[in-house]
Amino acid sequence: MKKFNNIYIGALGALLMFSACNKQLDLNPHQSIDQNKAILTAQDVQSTLVGAYNRMGLSDLYGGGVFVYPDLMATQTDVSFNGTFQGLTQMADQAILIDNTFVSGTWQDAYQVINQTNNVLANLSKVASGDKDRTEGEAKFLRGLVYFDLARLFGKDWNDGDPNTNPGVPIVLTPTVALGPDSYVARATVAATYAQAIADLTDAEAKMPETNSFYATKYSAAAILARLYLQQGNYAKAATEANTVIASGAFELNTNYAAEFPNPGGVNPVHIDNTPEDVFAIQVTSQQGTNSLNTYYASKTYAGRGDIHVNDNFTDIYGATDTRAALYQYDDPTDNTTTFRCRKFDNSIGNVHVIRLAELYLIRAESNFRNGSSIGATPLADVNTIRARAKATPLTAVNVDAPTQLADSKSILDERIRELAFEGGFFLHDGKRIQQSPIGAVPYNSNKLVFPIPKQDINANPKLKQNPGYGAE
Amino acid sequence: MKKNLLSFFLLFFCFSLAYGQSRAIKGKVTDQKDGSPLPGVTVTTKGAAPAGTQTDLNGLYSLTVPAGTKTLVFKYIGYKESDLPITGNTLDAQLETDPKQLTEVVVVGYGTQKRGSLTGSIASVSGKDVAETPVTTFEQALQGKAAGVNIQAQGGKLGQGITISIRGQSSISAGTQPLVVIDGIIVNQTDLSSNGATSNPLADINFNDIESYQILKDAAATAIYGARASNGVVLITTKKGKTGNAKINFNAQFGSSAPSRHRQFLNSDQWLKIEQRAVVGAATQDVLNGYFDTMADALAYENDDSYFTFLAAGNSKWNQTNTDWEKQAFQSAPQQQYDLNVSGGSDKTTYFIGMQALNQTGILKGNKFQRYSGRVNIDTKVFSNLDVGMNLNFTHSYNQRLSNDDQFSTPLQIVALSPITPVIDPRTGLISGTPPGDHDGSYPLYYNALINVKNAYYHTNVYRTLGNVFANWDIVKHLTFRSEFGIDQTNQNEDSYFNSLTAADTGTPNGFGENTNTSIVHYTVNNFITYKNIFSQDHSLDITGGTSYEYSNLLGNDVQGKQFPSDSYKKVASAALISGGSSTQSEYSFVSYFARANYAFKSKYLLSASVRDDASSRFGANNRYGVFPAASVGWMMSQESFLKNWQSLSELKLRASYGLTGNAEIGDYSSLGLFTSAGYNGLAGQRFTQLANPNLKWEKTAQLDLGVDFGFFNNRFSGTFDYYKKNTRDLLLNVNIPETMGIAFQTQNLGKLYNRGFELTLASDNFVGKFKWNTSFNVSYNLNKVTYTNGQIIDDGADLNRVIEGQEIGVFYGHEFAGADPKNGDALYYLNNIQADGTRNRATTNDPNKATEVPLGNPTPRYTGGITNTFNYMGFDLSFTFYGAFGNKIYNAAGQYMSSSASNGLDNQTLDQLNYWNKPGDITQVPEPRQFYANGTDPSSRYLSSGSYVRLKTVTLGYTFSPDLLKKVKIDKVRIFMNAYNLFLITKYKGWDPEVNADFQATNINLSNDFYSAPQPRTITFGLNVGL
Repeated sequence: MKKFNNIYIGALGALLMFSACNKQLDLNPHQSIDQNKAILTAQDVQSTLVGAYNRMGLSDLYGGGVFVYPDLMATQTDVSFNGTFQGLTQMADQAILIDNTFVSGTWQDAYQVINQTNNVLANLSKVASGDKDRTEGEAKFLRGLVYFDLARLFGKDWNDGDPNTNPGVPIVLTPTVALGPDSYVARATVAATYAQAIADLTDAEAKMPETNSFYATKYSAAAILARLYLQQGNYAKAATEANTVIASGAFELNTNYAAEFPNPGGVNPVHIDNTPEDVFAIQVTSQQGTNSLNTYYASKTYAGRGDIHVNDNFTDIYGATDTRAALYQYDDPTDNTTTFRCRKFDNSIGNVHVIRLAELYLIRAESNFRNGSSIGATPLADVNTIRARAKATPLTAVNVDAPTQLADSKSILDERIRELAFEGGFFLHDGKRIQQSPIGAVPYNSNKLVFPIPKQDINANPKLKQNPGYGAE
Repeated sequence: MKKNLLSFFLLFFCFSLAYGQSRAIKGKVTDQKDGSPLPGVTVTTKGAAPAGTQTDLNGLYSLTVPAGTKTLVFKYIGYKESDLPITGNTLDAQLETDPKQLTEVVVVGYGTQKRGSLTGSIASVSGKDVAETPVTTFEQALQGKAAGVNIQAQGGKLGQGITISIRGQSSISAGTQPLVVIDGIIVNQTDLSSNGATSNPLADINFNDIESYQILKDAAATAIYGARASNGVVLITTKKGKTGNAKINFNAQFGSSAPSRHRQFLNSDQWLKIEQRAVVGAATQDVLNGYFDTMADALAYENDDSYFTFLAAGNSKWNQTNTDWEKQAFQSAPQQQYDLNVSGGSDKTTYFIGMQALNQTGILKGNKFQRYSGRVNIDTKVFSNLDVGMNLNFTHSYNQRLSNDDQFSTPLQIVALSPITPVIDPRTGLISGTPPGDHDGSYPLYYNALINVKNAYYHTNVYRTLGNVFANWDIVKHLTFRSEFGIDQTNQNEDSYFNSLTAADTGTPNGFGENTNTSIVHYTVNNFITYKNIFSQDHSLDITGGTSYEYSNLLGNDVQGKQFPSDSYKKVASAALISGGSSTQSEYSFVSYFARANYAFKSKYLLSASVRDDASSRFGANNRYGVFPAASVGWMMSQESFLKNWQSLSELKLRASYGLTGNAEIGDYSSLGLFTSAGYNGLAGQRFTQLANPNLKWEKTAQLDLGVDFGFFNNRFSGTFDYYKKNTRDLLLNVNIPETMGIAFQTQNLGKLYNRGFELTLASDNFVGKFKWNTSFNVSYNLNKVTYTNGQIIDDGADLNRVIEGQEIGVFYGHEFAGADPKNGDALYYLNNIQADGTRNRATTNDPNKATEVPLGNPTPRYTGGITNTFNYMGFDLSFTFYGAFGNKIYNAAGQYMSSSASNGLDNQTLDQLNYWNKPGDITQVPEPRQFYANGTDPSSRYLSSGSYVRLKTVTLGYTFSPDLLKKVKIDKVRIFMNAYNLFLITKYKGWDPEVNADFQATNINLSNDFYSAPQPRTITFGLNVGL
């Protein structure tokens, strides 16, 4: 046998052995990019802003969670929660645990939006001057809206004790670059959180255009401000902001109530753009976004889990001709042994209506009533505008008495339930605002009606203090 | 054991010599002890131009020797080498046995060593001992065979993920699986499953091709693998051919599986009783909460009567149906397996060619696994000092998978359905819940997974090529160069389809289809030089040095479609709506340099040192290179003069090793700050997804190992004991950071933990001779403790598993359940706050928020062990292995549904829930049933139970026909056998099976959770083995 003994082969072997080199170690990611390369151009800033909307649409946030959860906490006699998600059962039972994953989801997602908007705001210099105001306005709108809802969910209500000492949420206004001592932020007060929201929303209202495709507009900011001022009991400002939206003529009530909840595809859902009534809505398509109102209210036929069953006497609140009652039906409308549900959210890729014109009429009505003013219209006229669209008999007078849920009662609060039930967490937020007692089994100012600060973040950030009622004894 | 080894070689390496020449020296080689012929003994001439041959089946050889040859050398594994002078034309040899463990060649990283010269801790399992086990993958077959190796299945689904931990788990957030190296090439172990539960990439390997498993445990053995070695290394060597006539081996087995255990749920009457009691319980609470003024109003509100009728398919006599849904989840599960291989070789070329067809049916309806595998191992001498070869394995595996344990569509979730619901809805004649019998999607209680069996599929096809080419060059005497180039290429296609009848589950009315392709190409290039020499008789030196380069590239794409024209159309091509799609890529690389030196003086004093320098693309720019040294010493005391006279002692060796290894198993880009796409309504967007950490590096594990190997009576009784302590620091930890930063964690090098334990392995040939009985036993103890996480409590999404300083990884931590309040049936929890005197407050509360969380138990067994007994008599062989795991608890994460005293949904309940609190004064652990009032259903120790068990893992009974009989029909071997797997189980665990970890949430931290997880199969097969 020959022998393999060639010096050149030896050299080749040695070459092979030591040929490995450093450039083999610089491998870059493919479906993500380095944070230093992410925001360099105006287009990058716009993409980051779109990313903020993407985060807004998460299921625990404006995908619907932020509306479903407060309603669950305050509708013990209107619905039954028949699902097996313990986190939601805890809300329905008014016994939330500090590791509730839905609560922590809302918290985490909200700060993702805030960080996204902070990234946009820190890079405004890269935006062309013609787009700068709009970009700034949209980012501030989203941030302001999120701070407002965080304040309502994680802090005590504005009118419950002293907002200047009650803890709100940490306020973060700069984008995250690295972990440092500044990353550990304590909770601001409820008042400071509201102040941040007001500042953002006011600036947003000033800077955003009147129309802006399906994105937020000047009127989106005004509308949320109206809702915020109403929550604060600042009725003059609430009426003024609501009037700004109504008087702009940019929006109109759908001719019939059901048109606000379009589901033309039935069980084959199709995405529908904003209705003329939508002042701001989160877009849900088959590709992006989740409608978690659909998840919990709609039956499995309509791609939901069907966890929330509405009590069939809920529709007692509607008069005989009121078309709004038709949005509550049995699964099999001919069989009253089947489950009774709210059918507003049957379109699984339907938009989530964050705020719509009808609410602004009702805000203006209530604010004018409580303020003794008639900015834009009289309270009665506004309520009857809403009722007329729903084919309900007009009222002859209105008041702001506690809701009774009786047919055609004169309370604007009842009208809000008739018009807006299950859409915006109003059962809890209105309940607190009007100091309704009890809400479910507890008084309006119970600690149980405030979300706990998520346990994971309490552990991660020693500066965060837990809400009362959530500590081990 | 020695006889075992002998028969092992007989089985696989028998051959007869066919190359004799006319002028030859002939002879017979026999065992000195009993005179039996020894086949396969290497006979070579001693001299400058060696000639050689091997003995045939009868121990005979014939060899032409060059003129002037004076001595023949006889070598045979397990025997002492013998040099005999040539005295005539005939030379017989009697070989003396050598304690086998000393001369047995053990595969180590980048080389081989004799067991006697090892200073590291290596557990060896012979491929033969586990071949033909009726399971899918080799990990299952290895259970109980090696000390310190804990192998845990997630459940009884075929081809699903399996956790192996060697000497405990040494990482919290990075990988914990050992590195698997097949024939020198690192194997890709990336899980490519996209259904939310892991699948097992090693299921592509036909383990009947495997010659041996070496499990490297301590730093002396593993540090040569540097940054990839902290979790231990499994070196697999596949079968090679041997010079001689072709041997054909055929193996077939058939059998079937059944669930190894069932769990009992309520029947219709029992279920109605507890649900009706839950209505009363709920109504009572409604009144207490002030929702209703009177009990009558509350009862009217809570009443379920019409719902019961609804669930009973419209039958108002609810209990007329009594469905045992649990039994409906299972199917009869036949399996068959065929292996055929041919091996042999000339003096220049050897080959092993094998193939396998395996077809297993799972115990859960719809589950199936098939594997078709081929192997070619070939080695040829190109020049007398250069041989090249190839080890190539190609496999097609096909898995009909099921939804993960968290889905309504996984078969075992149907246990939640009401017993009053019929399997077949009499109104439609279809499986309950099948449209059109389900007008609103809410019948039955949950989606009926049985609908999926015929109306949905999830097929995974994996095409895998795993192979390497190598060249071995003896450059000069003592100096060898080896070059290896290996590819592990995996192409996986997952094709799933859910037709219109599954709409209630998918939320998609006219069908949903998805097709996912993932491929990984993983290259390894190893080049190394070995120098082996013995100086002045007493000094032996063995040096290895080289480089390794590894590169992995994952490419994936996915497409989803909805709206199919009819249920006959199943591919996304037919979908009117392409609802989703993506393509992805991910890469990593390692560049490494390594060296090792072994020195022995008089085979008594052993010294070894190794070092590896690893760089990886995964690490931060500031920390690219890591150095991993190890050193070890051994002292063969039995060679010392003061012990030489102790005749019965055949081996006594003390070993000590210390070294550093790393763990680099994190995401490919964990050190970078990242933005990722985040679109909105069809418009492009981006979002921040990862916070940079340029300092990120590998985890470091410093391991001390002290061991002793001993053998008595010529190693008829032998054993190994090791004590180890593995200290891991710079843990690659997903550290929770303030979520107000818009991100929940950052991967940091933070934290410390240790694993400490011992391993004992004993082997004994209890009887030798005609009746043979040998026993091998192993037990290991491991204590895992996390010592530092900067105070952070880490939670990976499971109900109770946490990482907390001072506790083991994944410790169950939460509220301690205290049973039902005898007064009112409220679920109670111990307050457990630490009082002024330092003790825990054992008062109770009904508000879990007020109770302090405490450690509730370990999820990982402290002790694991196995015992195997093998008997041989007159051609019969019987072998059985018991495997046991002790000292852990298991959390039934589904307890909040199935054992909730009907306080959460209308799910069917386990039998023990009937013992519920019913009236004041009742003392019970089951609180009052209160429908939807979550009375005691929050995560707590209520759902923990002991996970200790002993299992008869395998039994093999075989009969080998006498060779004399077979000679007439020219057959070498015929064996018929029966295999039984998981024949019985002893445990206090209340669930289906203590070998469990819910597949959808199994992580390093989420351990020992049960969530509708399938039990292990009990499998019995019958087989035939023929050798020609």
